[in-house]
Amino acid sequence: MVLLGARGFIAGAIFRSLSAQGFSVLPLGRPDLDLLKPESVGTLAAALHHDDAVVMLAALTPDRGRDIGTLMKNLAMMEHLCAALAKTGCAHLVYFSSDAVYGLGPSRVTEETPAAPQDLYGAMHLARELLARAVAGVPILVLRPTQVYGAGDTHNSYGPNRFRRAAREDGRIQLFGGGEETRDHIHVDDVAAISMRCLMHRRTGTLNLATGRSVSFRGVAELVARQFAKPADIVSVARSGPVTHRHFDVANLIAAFPDIRFIALDEGVARCHTEEMEKG
Amino acid sequence: MRPVVGFAGMTHLGLVSGVCASEKGFMVVCFDPDPSRIAALNGNSLPVSEPQLEQLVANNAERLHFTADAAALKGCDVVYVAPDVPTDDQGASDLRSIDALLEQTFGATRADAVIAVLSQVPPGFTRARAREDRALYYQVETLIFGRAVERALQPERYIVGCADPLRPLPAPYHAFLEAHGCPILPMRYESAELAKISINMCLVASVSTANTVAELCERIGADWSEIVPALKLDRRIGPHAYLAPGLGIAGGNLERDLATVCRLADELGTDAGVVRAWITNSRHRRDWALRVLHQAILSKIDDPVLAILGLAYKQDTRSTKNSPSIALLRSLEPFRVRVYDPLVAASEVPNPRRHAANSELEACDGADALVVITPWAQFRNLQPRDIAGRLRGKTVLDPYAVLDAAACRAAGLVYHTLGAKA
Repeated sequence: MVLLGARGFIAGAIFRSLSAQGFSVLPLGRPDLDLLKPESVGTLAAALHHDDAVVMLAALTPDRGRDIGTLMKNLAMMEHLCAALAKTGCAHLVYFSSDAVYGLGPSRVTEETPAAPQDLYGAMHLARELLARAVAGVPILVLRPTQVYGAGDTHNSYGPNRFRRAAREDGRIQLFGGGEETRDHIHVDDVAAISMRCLMHRRTGTLNLATGRSVSFRGVAELVARQFAKPADIVSVARSGPVTHRHFDVANLIAAFPDIRFIALDEGVARCHTEEMEKG
Repeated sequence: MRPVVGFAGMTHLGLVSGVCASEKGFMVVCFDPDPSRIAALNGNSLPVSEPQLEQLVANNAERLHFTADAAALKGCDVVYVAPDVPTDDQGASDLRSIDALLEQTFGATRADAVIAVLSQVPPGFTRARAREDRALYYQVETLIFGRAVERALQPERYIVGCADPLRPLPAPYHAFLEAHGCPILPMRYESAELAKISINMCLVASVSTANTVAELCERIGADWSEIVPALKLDRRIGPHAYLAPGLGIAGGNLERDLATVCRLADELGTDAGVVRAWITNSRHRRDWALRVLHQAILSKIDDPVLAILGLAYKQDTRSTKNSPSIALLRSLEPFRVRVYDPLVAASEVPNPRRHAANSELEACDGADALVVITPWAQFRNLQPRDIAGRLRGKTVLDPYAVLDAAACRAAGLVYHTLGAKA
């Protein structure tokens, strides 16, 4: 199995899971293979075998920019991957997309919900999905994770990881408005476990990666705050947009893996806190 | 003199309609081009199950003539072309078999005989097949699986699609319809074809409303069963409104009509957004049992055993087309399941680890959860304390409220149903 973007937060968890199960994994991070460069096509094609499974996680995430330049770089990375795959083929391509491909209209989301990205990041993932699907003869699975949290996350998106960091550093968590918005938060270990199952089953199509349980940001903040001996303060700042909600209907995920067990948010937040504290 | 009536196509619709015509005192020719099907009927083996049907066949044996010889239709004054029209997974009709049977019927009947299409056909079907020299009609059927005999013997009205609705119906056809004592509504072909679809759309709208609000009830602690009487007393909704929440639309006929409306709307540029919303809601509710089972059992117990009562898509039928039970069982393939249905054989269950139980309670033996997924009347006789005594776990999913909720709770069971919080 070839893991692209291997130095990332999610890729790291997948690599650990696959390795623990004895799979042969080739992790390729940016220092090993810079997909932004055209010459990466030849390098990757030379490294790939037609019977490999490829997991594509390499992307410039929103914290690296949400502008047109970032969009074009991300598309170039995908273009180079597709060019390499066109040369060698592969047995299974798993593309890590995002729930940002969905709009913020109706709150309930399934895999059948029409994609309606609201920003360039969502548009980028949707375009990359289409690019991947255009590679002839490659069985593809698109995974669209909701907000992923867990120890070791370097991103700073609004949610459990940022709240924990803020609580630790400032002793307070800032919420937009009352933090009424509900979102689904999935632990990175669950993402890794589902990814591994998908790889083992050579699953194709599209799957949302979510738990099916949405919690308000206030609820998340309260969970995080409770992890500290002196609970962090939760303060409200003016919100910039309207309150929106998102609920995932995970029936397809359950139907695919009916014995799947998600890490409950309170347990996951506690686990994340413990692991981060152990790291110092 | 009473007309002789023929029915071409001896699947569910044609058979039930023909047998009920004989019960009304008419001589009936029941034709099907498949000799094996006719041989089975002549051997008293019915291909469908409907309450009263077997008895009516026995009672009217002298008036019923089952034959695979199309020439027998020569003696008929009115011939219904009534095969069940198959649909694909998208609900689209395959019209090849009805076209072939209609053609055969045109050729086998007298020139003065009335031919009436009784099968569910899309708008435009009948006029496209009308002939100058023949009397062709389209008659709306509103049979309900499990209540087909009752509906055929006591129709609410007859909706008759005509080439020209201003021309009186031919005497033999009118005599046959009049014998049922209900209003007869002639209209142009297209109106009748769309009337059939309209009826089903109104039913789906009601059920979708029930499903949508029932799901809210499950989350906020309201009880849909308390709300229903208030709706039924509203004259604009009515006492017979379809307000029972369910596990999505199944059986094939309603799905076919919704697919037809979407197709027509796409072709003609009209809006079918609400119909697509019904379809989405139907798919969502179909997975209710899987969601509840996952939350209560599958995500908590290793290698659970699940008892499933009911395989048919609804009670009093052996049809499993789009059955929520089969859909659920497909998702439960890794697990041990113990299944029981009064009519459907366990061999239709896709699960390799299935046990075909001989009774409802045997299905419960040692199971971690019971799912009563088809509301067969006989399941109402189950005593919750007996269920509790046979189950290993305490979880009961009873979407259609077949069991007594209070008695289940009193027996220590954790009771889940549509429209109420567990």
